Amino acid sequence: MAVQTDADAPTVDGHTPEERDPRVPWRPSQAGYVARGIVWAIIIAFVIAIPHLVPDTQINIVSRAALYGIVALSMNVLLGYAGQVSLGHQAFFGIGAFGSGYIITEVGMGWIAGIIGATIIGGLFSLLLGAIALRVRGFYFAIVTIAFGLFTQEVIFNIRRLTGGGAGMPAERPEFFSGDIVYAYVCIAALVVVWLFDWRLTATKAGRAIEALRDDERVAASWGINVKGFMLLAFAISGAMAGLAGGLFASIEQVVSPVTFNFTLGLLFMLMTVVGGLRSRPGVVTGGIVFAALPFLLEAAHGLSWWPGFIGPLWEPLIGAVLLLLTLIFFPGGIAQQNEDLYRWLSFQPFHSDKKDSVGGVVDTSGQRP
Amino acid sequence: MEEISTPGWFRPEWTRPAIIGGIVLVALVLVGISDVALVAVVVGGLQTGSIYALVALGLALVYKSTRVLNFAQGELGTVPAWVVFLILTGGALPDGGVDSAGLGEMLLATLAAVVVGAVLAVLINLLVIQRLSDVRPVTTLVATVGVTLAFSAVELIVFEAKARTFPRFVEGAPPGIDLGIGCLAIGGEGGCAAAGSQLAIGGARITWHMIIIVAVLIGMAVLLAAFFRTPPGVALLATSQEPYAAELYGISVTKMSTIAWAFAGAFAALGGVLGAGVFQRISPGLITTTFLVPAIVAAVLGGITSMVGAVVGGLLLGIAVSLANGIVASYGLSSVLPGPPQLATMAVLLAVLLFRPRGLFGKEA
Repeated sequence: MAVQTDADAPTVDGHTPEERDPRVPWRPSQAGYVARGIVWAIIIAFVIAIPHLVPDTQINIVSRAALYGIVALSMNVLLGYAGQVSLGHQAFFGIGAFGSGYIITEVGMGWIAGIIGATIIGGLFSLLLGAIALRVRGFYFAIVTIAFGLFTQEVIFNIRRLTGGGAGMPAERPEFFSGDIVYAYVCIAALVVVWLFDWRLTATKAGRAIEALRDDERVAASWGINVKGFMLLAFAISGAMAGLAGGLFASIEQVVSPVTFNFTLGLLFMLMTVVGGLRSRPGVVTGGIVFAALPFLLEAAHGLSWWPGFIGPLWEPLIGAVLLLLTLIFFPGGIAQQNEDLYRWLSFQPFHSDKKDSVGGVVDTSGQRP
Repeated sequence: MEEISTPGWFRPEWTRPAIIGGIVLVALVLVGISDVALVAVVVGGLQTGSIYALVALGLALVYKSTRVLNFAQGELGTVPAWVVFLILTGGALPDGGVDSAGLGEMLLATLAAVVVGAVLAVLINLLVIQRLSDVRPVTTLVATVGVTLAFSAVELIVFEAKARTFPRFVEGAPPGIDLGIGCLAIGGEGGCAAAGSQLAIGGARITWHMIIIVAVLIGMAVLLAAFFRTPPGVALLATSQEPYAAELYGISVTKMSTIAWAFAGAFAALGGVLGAGVFQRISPGLITTTFLVPAIVAAVLGGITSMVGAVVGGLLLGIAVSLANGIVASYGLSSVLPGPPQLATMAVLLAVLLFRPRGLFGKEA
């Protein structure tokens, strides 16, 4: 963290940002490149080392954190880019998990087929639900997703033929990934792939169209954007990402149980994304990782002598809820807003922004208010 | 401007909802008559439906006056139910719970719970909703989800994840006459004869608790209708239609939203205490996990800004859920098709959004 305050000031060659020719893109100084390179190397080395750093019994937390990161990116597409709240995302996560379990165990196809199948099934289900639900927006959309979450939890996940009932559906890993550490790398790699996909998505016409819809649907329509089509696309991409995360999740414990994908998990997914900071990839992924690790951190802290004994793993939802309310009231940009300068510095931009805008709240704050 | 404030009992705008309601009822009869004890289904549906309606009333009132979909409405029921529990045990936390309580004691505890519910609702409005840095409707929904999580998390920490018994106002059932009218229902559990010395309609045994729930719902609906005829009630309706113009007439919008939230909290508290009584048990987050989503769907079904709609929607959804349960049970489908209530709720919601997004009584989508 100390590196962030190095000599790499917002000025280049003694020019203040105002004096700079705006047509020439800003470039860090040589020292700036080196400093950023070193920090990037440390981050990458840390990510590579982390499965070896945690104790063997806790290795699955790393896999889980990476998958929560994917779910957060998935929520971000819907909530951050398209501006629609889903409170039932655990449904797509669970559908992916059971889908991959079913393909691996019942159909007998390979693990790869299971993961691809999970992604497709997640996307298809969200397309199907979206086709009905996206006739309405905002509140009504959120209501449909809540009801859908409860519906999958109580109906679909309890159909014994599809999900194996209370005993759960096995989803074995292939020989090559059988080690927990190797599997953690698989999950991290998946997170990187989804991140890169999301990054390219926001650079395409489709990504910009989706963001335009969030700001104002009518204006977007007047620019020739197919409102319903791009809204559905956002929903399908989000569902497919969640399905992929679910498919990978199935093989962490190698058995999928229906009770995992309950109502509260969907609320947690929403919460970690908002606290992470919408429309910021590093923000939402940080949020996902923090909330995946929080119960285990609380459990670990429970054993420490200076830790107040009454605060245990049960406090996770309370801490999350309080963070959510504080985020909504005081820091609409969440974790990303706190680290905005750092993220900018790491993306080879000046540490201090010469612009006044910042990452926004649940729905873009710059747009007009109803 | 509002159904309740126009004179006379007949409303032209009610004809379409009435026709739709009639079609729904006929469909229910056609589906249900073959193998399901229809009267029992309707009676059972009215019980849960009344609680949906109580919770939905608060949802609709808050939505109408402040354009907030209050996800915390469920917790505004659970927390007061816990308050009743703690008052009855004198602050202790016995593992078993409270099996029964005197009527007077229960009434006093409920009164306290209603006050707690109203105060909590007002505090949520003033401390969270009014202070959000972004006033988009979706943000307010996310904020109330946060409040819900906070409340249920505290309950989980204090009371732990276990169910305790919870008393009803009056246990048991009224003795007496078999009204007999429902013996037309086919396939009921032994029909009228099985009801024995207990009050029954068509084989459906009536408990005191059912009667109390329906009576409370009627009482609250009448209270609300009366309130909308008083000056503050009219001011509330005016604010909900056009806050800016209302403010020009010297109406405090904040005060009006406080009144709406207080009513909502009180309704939720009653729903919570009566709802916990239906299960005769209480656990952390009980009303949120059992009644909240159906109540939201009921409010949407009725047209989310309409009080009449909330009551009608709640009762209709209650009957639909009860019918789904009845059909699945009587055709022996429970192993193939789990979760009939959630299935019915989802089906009703999708049907409303597909065919009539503004709901039965709503004026806007």
